[in-house]
Amino acid sequence: MSEAFNAFKLDGRRVLVTGAASGIGLATSALLSRLGGRLVAVDSNEEGLRTALASFEGEGHEGRCWDLRKVEQIPSWLLETAATGGPLFGLVHAAGLSCIQPVRLLEPSCYRDVLLVNTEAALALARGFQQKKVVDPAGGSIVFVTSVMSLVGSAGAAAYGMTKGAVVGLAKSLSVELAPRAIRVNCVAPGFVKTPMFDRLSARWEADQRAQVEAAHPLGLGEPEDVANAIAFLLADTGRWMTGSVMVVDGGYTAL
Amino acid sequence: MDGKRHILITGSSSGIGRETAIRLSGSYPLILHGRDATRLDEALRGCQHPERHVLWKYDLRDVDQIEDSLKRVLEENSIGVEGFVHCAGTLKILPLRTMERLDVQETMNVNFNSAVEIIRLLVRKKVNRKHLCGIVIISSIASLKGARGFNVYCASKGALDAFMRALAVELAPEVRVNSVLPGAIRTGMTNNMLNDPELSKRLETAYPLGMGQPGDIAFAVEFLLSERARWITGQQLVVDGGRTINVTA
Repeated sequence: MSEAFNAFKLDGRRVLVTGAASGIGLATSALLSRLGGRLVAVDSNEEGLRTALASFEGEGHEGRCWDLRKVEQIPSWLLETAATGGPLFGLVHAAGLSCIQPVRLLEPSCYRDVLLVNTEAALALARGFQQKKVVDPAGGSIVFVTSVMSLVGSAGAAAYGMTKGAVVGLAKSLSVELAPRAIRVNCVAPGFVKTPMFDRLSARWEADQRAQVEAAHPLGLGEPEDVANAIAFLLADTGRWMTGSVMVVDGGYTAL
Repeated sequence: MDGKRHILITGSSSGIGRETAIRLSGSYPLILHGRDATRLDEALRGCQHPERHVLWKYDLRDVDQIEDSLKRVLEENSIGVEGFVHCAGTLKILPLRTMERLDVQETMNVNFNSAVEIIRLLVRKKVNRKHLCGIVIISSIASLKGARGFNVYCASKGALDAFMRALAVELAPEVRVNSVLPGAIRTGMTNNMLNDPELSKRLETAYPLGMGQPGDIAFAVEFLLSERARWITGQQLVVDGGRTINVTA
């Protein structure tokens, strides 16, 4: 597949990606830079952000070291970003925290940050993005990275599933509300992908537990690039008639 | 079979199938299926590299002869099929009480049974070696939602989606199987329905992004067939301008 996919091209349009220093956010930023996008790469890890920025193709990218737990400040950060670098066409919320614990251990202190970053930041980013001085007047495209845990259940994933499921609900109503302004909102729901988050999680597993998780994915475990491709498809004009959709990218995990 | 691998597109002489054929024709050799020779020729003329594509004229209402007919096309042209896109579909909006058994059969044959027959053939080693690696089914949001008079159409699309999901599990990891669920697109099939100005107006407000075009669906088909979707199988991709989530209309 080559030039036939020109609707995939971003032609210098600005896209803000959170969690851009690692995992799915990094793979997505790198892909969007190859498709001609100008990145506003957001992460809380300053050094990782520098390395990431150096790896992008093309010109005009910038990094922002934000702590997404400070949700009250997010809309004004976006305003300032647009004021200095121009309007945004795209927003990808790939930053996320994991929280895998049995319910008896789910003290509020254990999921507070997870809910802030995974869910509340998604809403605050969308609120900031839709401001007239931020979004491109021709329209925009938002992609939230959720999880198959917003659709199915797994012991220990109650809090994580709650934060991701809420984002799906957020996306559905936002997509209807923002459609008249040509802003599309969609979700990508990945299965288990080989990211640093997954490595930290699976480090606690027995060998047979890992084998079980692998076997639950008919196509095996995924790579961050697999999810990045789906995000780019939804973000770009290839997804021009899609809004409110959840694209499940899971190697068949939820089909089984 | 010389290993030249084609993408087979049913219903490629009109609507979504035709647009998909035109879009894919630059990247793959195609087998264009349709039941009307004249319209099939027109579709071929709209494609890039018309000389490398193969035509299969067949009426899918006759499911009994699909196997023989398609087998002959593959043998005579010494080709295999690496991708299958099922776009053929028929829509009769009829209240159930006025529906004849033949109407039911015809809808199920064209929309669902034909896909089963074709895939049954394409997964046989003797016929297609192990060439098949991707299937995209054009389902419909009628697979998820009800509408008056859509009874058997909804059932045929629901059957396709359930079949798709089961095949995704059965044929993994060699073959990826997914479906695309379009909302209302202006095509030959939906023209009658959309010519009613009142209904057309109602539909416009029900679709947050407005009504769709065949090209919107072709993008999704192309993506799902491509290597970019190598970790996607067993999924229903809703491409409907926001219709199914919109309850405000």
